[in-house]
Amino acid sequence: MNLLEKIFYRLRKYSKALRMFALVAGPGIIVMVADNDAGGITTYTTTGAQYGNHLLWFLILLGPVAYLVQEMTVRLGAVTKRGHAEAIFDSFGSFWGWFSLFDLVLTDWLTMITEFIGMTAAMSIFGIPAWMTVIACWILMGSMIMTGSYWTWEKIVLVISIGNLIYIPAAFVVHPSVPDIIKNSVIPNLPPGGLTNDLFFLLMANIGTTIAPWMLFFQQSSVVDKGLQEKDIKFGQWDTAIGSFLTVIVAVLLIIVCGKLLFGQPIDSAAQAARMIMPMNSYVGTIIAIGLFDAGFLGAICISLASSWAFGEVFGWAHSLNHKIKEAPWFYAYYFFDLCLAGTVVLIPKAPLVLITLFVQVIATTLLPPALVFLILLLNDKKTMGALVNTRLQNFLNISIVVVIVVLSTMYGLSTLFPNLL
Amino acid sequence: MIRFIRPFRGFWRTIKFIHRKYKKPKIEMTPFVKASLLALRLYVLVLIGLMVLKFILTVK
Repeated sequence: MNLLEKIFYRLRKYSKALRMFALVAGPGIIVMVADNDAGGITTYTTTGAQYGNHLLWFLILLGPVAYLVQEMTVRLGAVTKRGHAEAIFDSFGSFWGWFSLFDLVLTDWLTMITEFIGMTAAMSIFGIPAWMTVIACWILMGSMIMTGSYWTWEKIVLVISIGNLIYIPAAFVVHPSVPDIIKNSVIPNLPPGGLTNDLFFLLMANIGTTIAPWMLFFQQSSVVDKGLQEKDIKFGQWDTAIGSFLTVIVAVLLIIVCGKLLFGQPIDSAAQAARMIMPMNSYVGTIIAIGLFDAGFLGAICISLASSWAFGEVFGWAHSLNHKIKEAPWFYAYYFFDLCLAGTVVLIPKAPLVLITLFVQVIATTLLPPALVFLILLLNDKKTMGALVNTRLQNFLNISIVVVIVVLSTMYGLSTLFPNLL
Repeated sequence: MIRFIRPFRGFWRTIKFIHRKYKKPKIEMTPFVKASLLALRLYVLVLIGLMVLKFILTVK
């Protein structure tokens, strides 16, 4: 075989692999980008405004953590061909099954409300009233899902995911200090003042936005709905890795933008950050507002679907996006019910939205440790996973992550419930 | 009246069916699995207890 033949053979091999990847890619990128939802965008803007670039290393560290956790759902989904809710019911019995389902439904619904809060706040910057935003979102989200094809839905959502990358040009516009970014990205350091209660809360909020229970349920169900096989796992892992890279890039760039423009100013929400940036740089302010809407929109679609899939799996309803509404009425009914209920709450005058946001964090804290423990146990069950059980290295890394998250999230839950306790 | 109750009776039957279907955990109950599930039960109980306590304190 001469050199030219070798090159041709290699190119053909890579192009075939790339085509295969294009077919398999989707669930990982979508779940990871949707992970930067309205709550996530608010967390990053607050992190940047409060601590500048000091916590960039922490966000970069969360990328591989998110990958390691989500990658397990790819293997589990591809091997068992069951969603996460069904897997918990089947493997751990009805007590843990109902617990997980109830907790998931409650957390998802509350998180959906925060997505609508983000979307309406973002659109209010452009003078669009909340009721109009909510109705427009219902129509758009409804029409997207009624295509009767998982592939079409996935492609539409991937296009929306690209909108999340809108923060990339914003970071270049504000001309941040590159040496400072490199230093804070590579060398772990704490901001001046050390580990305070505020910093602990923000670190936990960043963990909470990077690893959320709904993501486990969503990606596994998505892998099953897409029909990924064991042979596709490698591509699914690449899909998740690219997604986790994108999620970190968006988080880092948003922190850089807010660190540059809002450093030292108290920020409560991403919408407030956009409003404050508008007079300084209308281009960047607009980008933050549009990005916030996009994040909320993407988050709402994925979170609502995660619940619908879970219900469908457990109750035995037809639960695939490949079904038409007539074929899977309960699956779609629950999806719309979830969207309408969450959107309506935002429109209620004087609804306790701040309390709801706080409640989301506490409830999510209770679900995350059980969901992660179930995942580790399932991935170690030879009867279920066969040769694809966790390796020793995967177990070491994943169990370390779970132990740290369980300890931190318990502390976080306690300090949210009893602020003077810790 | 019965016409309105019927769907709920059907729903309750489904819940009972799911409960029966998944009554026995299928995972191999190794000591590690048993210990993890016990720790999880305690964790959830403590956390729910704390939330109830917080609720009572807030209401008071």
